[in-house]
Formats: sequence, C-alpha cells, structure tokens
Amino acid sequence: MTDNNASQDAVVIERSFDAPVGLIWQMWTDPEHFKKWYGPDGATISVANMDVRVGGTRLIGMEVHTPNGLMQMWFAGEYREVVENERLVYTESMSDENGNASSPSDIGMPDGHPGTTEVRVELEDLGGRTKMVMTHAGVPRDSPGAAGWTMALDKLAAYVGARSTR
Amino acid sequence: MTLAIDEDRLSETFAALANSTRRAILARLAEGAATVNELAAPFEVTLPAISKHIKVLERAGLVLRGQRAQYRPCALDAAPLAEVSTWAEQYRPVWEARFDRMDDYLTQLRPQRKTGAGDD
Repeated sequence: MTDNNASQDAVVIERSFDAPVGLIWQMWTDPEHFKKWYGPDGATISVANMDVRVGGTRLIGMEVHTPNGLMQMWFAGEYREVVENERLVYTESMSDENGNASSPSDIGMPDGHPGTTEVRVELEDLGGRTKMVMTHAGVPRDSPGAAGWTMALDKLAAYVGARSTR
Repeated sequence: MTLAIDEDRLSETFAALANSTRRAILARLAEGAATVNELAAPFEVTLPAISKHIKVLERAGLVLRGQRAQYRPCALDAAPLAEVSTWAEQYRPVWEARFDRMDDYLTQLRPQRKTGAGDD
C-alpha cells in the first residue's frame, strides 16, 4: 500500500530542448541561469546558493508578490547525485533563511504532504539537442496516505474507489 | 510512452474539476448512474447548461454515457481522479510553466551562442 503511494506520488515530465546538453546542465546548476526560469510566474528568485557536489547544500530564496506585499519563501536541500551533463538529484524542503527545514504543518501544508521531496533530472545528449526527464517525487514520511488535491476530491475518489467493482 | 497524451488528459481533468456544478454532478454520480434529467434536478440551471457540463466531464473521461438513445444514462469513471488526487500532480502545472520559461530563455540565449564563439 505504501509502496504503491510512493511510486505513484511523483510528477514525471519529459522535454526536449533545442540546446546542447552542457547548457541544459547549467540551467540547473548555474545560479544566474537558474534564476531566469525557475521562479513561478509572479515570483522572483532572490537567492540561489548551490554547492553542486554530492552532500553539498542548496538554498533557494523566492520572493512572491501578493496583494499583501512581498512574501519571502525559502527552500533548502542537499545534492544526492551529481553526474555532470547526465544526472542531478537533490532534495528539497521548505525552510527558513538559514536552510533549517520547516515541518509541513508549520507552513500550513495539508496532512500527508511530504516534508521533503526529491527532484531528479536526467539528461540525454541528442547531438546539439537535449532530452530531459524530470521526476519530482515525495519522500515517504510517516503518513501513509498521499495528500489530496482537495478534501472533497479525496473523499469522492475514496468513495468511488470503494464502490467500484471494475 | 504515452506521456504527452496523459498530460493532455490531466489538463482536461483539472479544467473539468474547476467548477462547483461539475463537482456536484460527480458527487451525485458517485452514488450511481443517473439520467441528465435526474442530474439537473437539484440545480437551478437549465437542462442545456447541465448537458454542457456533462459534455465537459465526458471529454475529460470522468463520465461515461450509455448508448440507449432515449435516456443515455451517465456514469462516473473515476480513473482520472486517481491521477489528480496525489499531491505530486499539484506540481505538474508549476513545472510545465518553468520548462516553458526555460525554453524561452534558451531561445533568448541562442543569438549569443551562435555569434559569440567564446564560451561565455
């Protein structure tokens, strides 16, 4: 049951870019490049500290413009695998500005939301072009159930799942 | 690999769920199949409006229609819900937007890469 959740609870996105593999690698590992694309719309990456080696830490500061003013968010993590131009794996947790991880409930995330997630980037050199597969997975924590998109949706899915005999 | 198709369907699933009437229709169908008339009964909207909502749900793969011409009862297909109800799927649109921006940024860099023979 938990295995099932762990394997299913990931986003996998495959993309091809019209750029050499070395440049795509820099998109993830060079703070100046990273800042240009990473921030969600309406957000600015103010800090990108990246010690890109196995065991090295990373700290991302994000400024989000809200109607109530500027909101600063921090994400900290550690590099797990670093194979230049091929494979990058790092963890990510919400944190304070010093990189101390916050617990999911502290920051108002729903129960069952993983406190730490893992981002895996796999690159393939297609000769001037690059194939990228990004996997963002929850690192399973104590809570067995994956958090729902909304409570209502969860309830509905559970209800339907229980009834379904197909 | 059917990744692209899956992503398209997920977008449709999200769009279909982004409406309280349609979520209410799904909740009703969770109790069992129903005709369009039965589905419309609790709502203060017209039958064509309900039909429109059902069509959106059908396209998203959340509702199946029976083949009997007269009634064409609606039934729920929960399979797409299993995919969106994980936390991870909340992040999909965020990542997609990021990679769109990465693509745009790479395009901006291209003239420099071509003309500048250096490695900056």
